[in-house]
Amino acid sequence: MTRILLADDHTVMRNGLRLLLERQPDLKVVGEASDGRQAVDLAAAENPDVVIMDIAMPQLNGVEATRQIVNRNPAAAVVILSMHKDESYVIRSLKAGARAYLLKDSAEADLIAAIGAITEGKSFFSPAVRSLLKEDYMHQLEELGAEDSYELLTNREREVLQLVAEGKSNKQVAALLNLSLYTVETHRNHILQKLNLHSAPELILYAVRKGIIS
Amino acid sequence: MSLSPKTGPRLGGRPLLVAGFGSLLLLMLLAGGYALRTLEQVRTSDLEERNHHLRRDRALDRVRTGIFQSAIIMRDYLLALDEKTAAAQIERFAETRGQTDRALAECAALIDPTESAALHELQSELQLYWKLLEFISQIPAENRQVRGSEYLSKQVRQHRAELIQMADQVDAISARQMAASDARLKETFGRLRGRLTLIVALALGVGLLLAGFTIWRTLRLERELEQRYREGLDAQQELKELSARLVSAQEEERRSISRELHDEVGQSLSALLMEAGNAAAHVPPDATHVRQHVDSIKKLAEASVNIIRNMTLLLRPSMLDDFGLVPALEWQAREVSKRTGIRVQVTAADSAGELPDALRTCIYRVVQEALHNCARHAQARSVRVVVHQEDSKIVLSVEDDGRGFDARRVRGLGLVGMEERVRHLGGAFHVRSTPGAGTKVDVELPLAS
Repeated sequence: MTRILLADDHTVMRNGLRLLLERQPDLKVVGEASDGRQAVDLAAAENPDVVIMDIAMPQLNGVEATRQIVNRNPAAAVVILSMHKDESYVIRSLKAGARAYLLKDSAEADLIAAIGAITEGKSFFSPAVRSLLKEDYMHQLEELGAEDSYELLTNREREVLQLVAEGKSNKQVAALLNLSLYTVETHRNHILQKLNLHSAPELILYAVRKGIIS
Repeated sequence: MSLSPKTGPRLGGRPLLVAGFGSLLLLMLLAGGYALRTLEQVRTSDLEERNHHLRRDRALDRVRTGIFQSAIIMRDYLLALDEKTAAAQIERFAETRGQTDRALAECAALIDPTESAALHELQSELQLYWKLLEFISQIPAENRQVRGSEYLSKQVRQHRAELIQMADQVDAISARQMAASDARLKETFGRLRGRLTLIVALALGVGLLLAGFTIWRTLRLERELEQRYREGLDAQQELKELSARLVSAQEEERRSISRELHDEVGQSLSALLMEAGNAAAHVPPDATHVRQHVDSIKKLAEASVNIIRNMTLLLRPSMLDDFGLVPALEWQAREVSKRTGIRVQVTAADSAGELPDALRTCIYRVVQEALHNCARHAQARSVRVVVHQEDSKIVLSVEDDGRGFDARRVRGLGLVGMEERVRHLGGAFHVRSTPGAGTKVDVELPLAS
């Protein structure tokens, strides 16, 4: 049973989401928050498996609420469900600790799949967001005339990148690829260096943009 | 304040001034003319009078000489030894007599008629004198010497003394006449001086009055002008404030409409979309008709959500308020790139994200307008947007590689609007552009405000 917290300032939206989610036998909505602060409080009280979070909310916006929830409980899986369809919102949400980003207009189609993915430790993005990020990445490469840094990675590093981006821990990657934990960590550092990235969210974002994961 | 009390004295003042200065000039002209005329008159009458006096004196002198000379001639006649000499003396006597008579007539013509009594007396006495002398010529030749001398010494000498006395009287009259004429001249001069003094005093008075009026009027006009100027400045300032208020009101309106659209309309449509999905889940598999309708509802709602999203971003991008300036500028850059193919590169310091709302909005709108110009007029291929902080100010530059324009001549409404925004926040705005060499917009905004 996956316990879910809903945070959205629109009652109609929350009701719709609840209906949608509770059609699934293994999902249960354990709380509803109508602003960011309430979401943080309820997350601390209920300790849900998944938080479905809107961005535009009174008191405290969804991005900040996500940051506070993940700070307190790094295992909390936050799905952003927003109207905003711009890179800046996606990147900031991911940096704040969200693991999935869905657009409200595709909630009905993607929400169940997204919850499934993040409970397994993976990331998830609405197809529109995914193609947007990818497009922007290609556009940037084209504009700067820069070489695609992905070409710098070795085959082994590409394997590690994909697994890490899918949400696997270093230990899991080591087991899957039959490598030592130390080697996996080295690969991971090399990847970050070569791609000029600094954190796991950036790595995930990169993978999405590259189309390595979906 | 109405205009009529101001224009009133101005319209009334001009004819008054013209009349005043005109009459002053006329007065001076009249005074000058009068003085000249009088002086000329005085000069000619003085000259005439002196001339008459001289001629009178000379004529009288000739009369006196004639009186003595005729007596001497007659004595010579008495002493003459022969008839021929005697006859010559008689001839000389007649000649002298004529000359003397003419001289006296001349004198009579030059004497004042009121004084002519003395002259007439002199004239008749002279005739008597002539008769006395003529009588000598009638004395017979033999006792001419004895009786003639006696007659001459008795009758003629006495008569002659009287005549000379009379002539002296006439002389005195002439002198009196001269003195009277001098007195008249003096009086004329006195009158002239009096009139001139009066006119000069009058002119001085009018001049002072005019000067006073002119100064008063000038000061008044000056004051009025200053007031107008101040009013103009105030109006200009008011207009500026009004336009700034208009700009901020517009911005506020955009922000609230954008937010309202996004938070209310957008969210409701999203909810509608989801509810449609929920409804679809309950549609029996064989009710294809209903399913089609539900799908159509979903498609419509989806399209509407997209429209709302674009509208809100165009009105005022939400990241400007949610995350600050840099993400908003980056979004704007991406949008322009996508829409126009222009390469837009944004370089912004992280500190630029923490700006006060007014500065952030100003920079965002200036960049938006500049990029709009690049896309619309400049035919640029790439644009560089740089924002950084320097001491206590924010420096922005937008530079393109387009065709440029003559920055001294062309001043579109867009540029004016940008400048207005910047100036209102106490900043500096410069556009540098030369045809064919791109355009650079530089903005400096103080952070303290």
